[in-house]
Amino acid sequence: MSATTSRRTQEARAAWAFLSPDLIGLGLFIVLPIVLAFGMAFMSVSGFGAVRFAGVDNFLRLLSDNKLPKALIVTFSYAILAVPLSYVVGLGLALLLEGKVRGGGLVRTMVFIPYVLSLVVVALIWQFMLVDKTGVVPTLLRGVNLGHISWLGDPQFALLTVVGITVWSQAGYQMLLFLGGLGGIPKDFYDAASIDGAGWWRRLTSITLPMLRPTSFFILLTSAMACITGVQAFDLIFMLTRGGPADATLTMPFYIYEQAFTYNDLGYASALTLVLVAILMVAVIATFALTKGARFHEGD
Amino acid sequence: MYPRISRRQSFKLGAGALGAMTGAAALTACGSDAGGGDGISLWNFFGPDPEGSEVSTWFETLATDWNESHDVQLDLRYIPNQTYMDGTTLQTAFTSGEGPDLFVISPGDFLRFGNGGALMDLAEYVPEELRADFTPGNLEARSDGEAIYAIPFDAEPLAMFYSVEAFEEAGLSEGDLPETWDQFLDIADKLTTDTRFGALVEPAPGYYQNFTWYPFVWQSGSEFFDDSGNPTFDTPGVHGALQLWQDLVNNGLSPRQAQGTGANEVNANLGAGTVAMQQSGIWGVAQMAQNAPDVEYGVFHLPIPEGGERATDVGGWAIAANADGKNPEAAAEFIMWAYGSSEPEQIDRLVGWNAGAKSNLPTRQSVIDAANEKDSYSEGALQYFVDEVYPTGRPEPRFPPEVYKPISDALQACMLNGEDPASAAGRAQEQLESFMSGYNGLSIEY
Repeated sequence: MSATTSRRTQEARAAWAFLSPDLIGLGLFIVLPIVLAFGMAFMSVSGFGAVRFAGVDNFLRLLSDNKLPKALIVTFSYAILAVPLSYVVGLGLALLLEGKVRGGGLVRTMVFIPYVLSLVVVALIWQFMLVDKTGVVPTLLRGVNLGHISWLGDPQFALLTVVGITVWSQAGYQMLLFLGGLGGIPKDFYDAASIDGAGWWRRLTSITLPMLRPTSFFILLTSAMACITGVQAFDLIFMLTRGGPADATLTMPFYIYEQAFTYNDLGYASALTLVLVAILMVAVIATFALTKGARFHEGD
Repeated sequence: MYPRISRRQSFKLGAGALGAMTGAAALTACGSDAGGGDGISLWNFFGPDPEGSEVSTWFETLATDWNESHDVQLDLRYIPNQTYMDGTTLQTAFTSGEGPDLFVISPGDFLRFGNGGALMDLAEYVPEELRADFTPGNLEARSDGEAIYAIPFDAEPLAMFYSVEAFEEAGLSEGDLPETWDQFLDIADKLTTDTRFGALVEPAPGYYQNFTWYPFVWQSGSEFFDDSGNPTFDTPGVHGALQLWQDLVNNGLSPRQAQGTGANEVNANLGAGTVAMQQSGIWGVAQMAQNAPDVEYGVFHLPIPEGGERATDVGGWAIAANADGKNPEAAAEFIMWAYGSSEPEQIDRLVGWNAGAKSNLPTRQSVIDAANEKDSYSEGALQYFVDEVYPTGRPEPRFPPEVYKPISDALQACMLNGEDPASAAGRAQEQLESFMSGYNGLSIEY
């Protein structure tokens, strides 16, 4: 064996050794559950160990499930509202707090703190503040005749309220990412634009936003995923509304949870999961195709 | 300059990281043994509660006394109430074959676990004299034919609590306590202010909400199933009960969102002054005594429709053994020792649970007699519950999830989304008929 081959072998071993913890973790906690979910979707699984082959029964049941369209609508409404709102608020905060702003460090920290909190804690805080009639928010709004609104108990407002809480908890994280992105934009660009007479809006639309496209892509994609399948779509709902009132906040993750842990129907829950994954895969593939593999700079 | 690391060193580091991960995973796996070796495990939502409570102390003392007198050691595991009732911990444990040897179960969950084959038949451990000691309905609600799947250890009737201060502020007195639904709505309206709701019935979806709503259906003579087991949900009695809860919310008399964990917490709502009347259970007496001792309150019957009959729901907790537990003999022995014994010391312990740590009614006549000898139920709200409310009670229905959920959906749609009760009831009736046509589990009626 030549010295070069031996060195390559050693390097490959070292690489695999470093990669193996991640690979094992991904395999055990991502790939294996996906494979199992795929298999379980074709089974009738009781939750108490009884398993039998069900063929495509679970998928046929999807067609007659009256709650599935409702859960999909709620889920995508939640994402369509929460993702752009978080984006705008996160970007706005980053633009306001960029550079040397008096007290900026303190404000940045305060805005970021909600993101550090567990979503369970976030939910408990807001539940307490929003409780009907005597919560902090209804008490403050009583002066403008809005104290009677039940923010989490009225189907008209419940989803919007959950969106608002989501934005409150996520905007700090997005602000931080945007601050990183803004820091990477060469100052020369702004100087040149100013010399050309470009105003704030022109600099924002012609320099800042285009240069932030990679950051924006990452934020929009990950926050959409989090809203549709992630902890926000479950933890917040579980703690705040349990899918209610009257299914107004019945997101897909919560509906899947209900099927698995209320009805003990793990097979059907797996079929629902596959539907959600399929929709997401189409969306992600389309996104990558439209952005040419998330390459935003010429020559990439 | 960063120190250089040789390839050999980097390989060792990588292998070390992998080893550390594997070791950590192995240690985690070791810690997941629900049974705790040769001992038996008991999962519950009472204790040992890190925040401490009288019910927690009672459970901890029970475990300590068992462990001091038996070779097989009992390991208590506390799971907070919300997670225990509607969460994943217990279910996931059973799904993965790591369910506890013993666990506390409600009527709402009985058929879910029973039909899943998770409940051990305790019939051979329950002697005839003990069976005869249970007051009517309690043991039957946990049985199917000859099989006994759980031992009930408390009974919890529902009634209406009211704040004396709120009544006085509204110029009302005890003589104004509502008897009928119409009077209830009228009095609730008089008690409602900018900072207080006149009444509170549970608004959040779940087993508990259904449990508290059932009596309003029974009061008009309606049932959920006929004698042949066919669903009878689309009836005027059900429509009326749905309409009542809708009126309470639509008229702003009852909140859409309760304080604390919900309408099951009397001290967090009525005790905090945010509601004037609150439907809740006998356990509220202990909650008020322990958390809001200075708040003056009273209890009255659930209001009934014009021409209706008094009816209330009697919930209660039971202890069950895992059919696939690691030590079923020891689990059954523990149940009989703790909840089925006729030894004076154990009877006293059960009196301490029912009339002390957690105000309830006992499920056994011998415990009721012992409590009466101590005058445990001789005054105040507890006496009212025992003498007036309990005789109008019926055991909580043990509906499987496929029955509970359509009822819950109908109730939520009417109460919080303004749907027409007849329409919601009709939809639920169709779902119930569809499910029952293929149902072949443990009997729903008993």
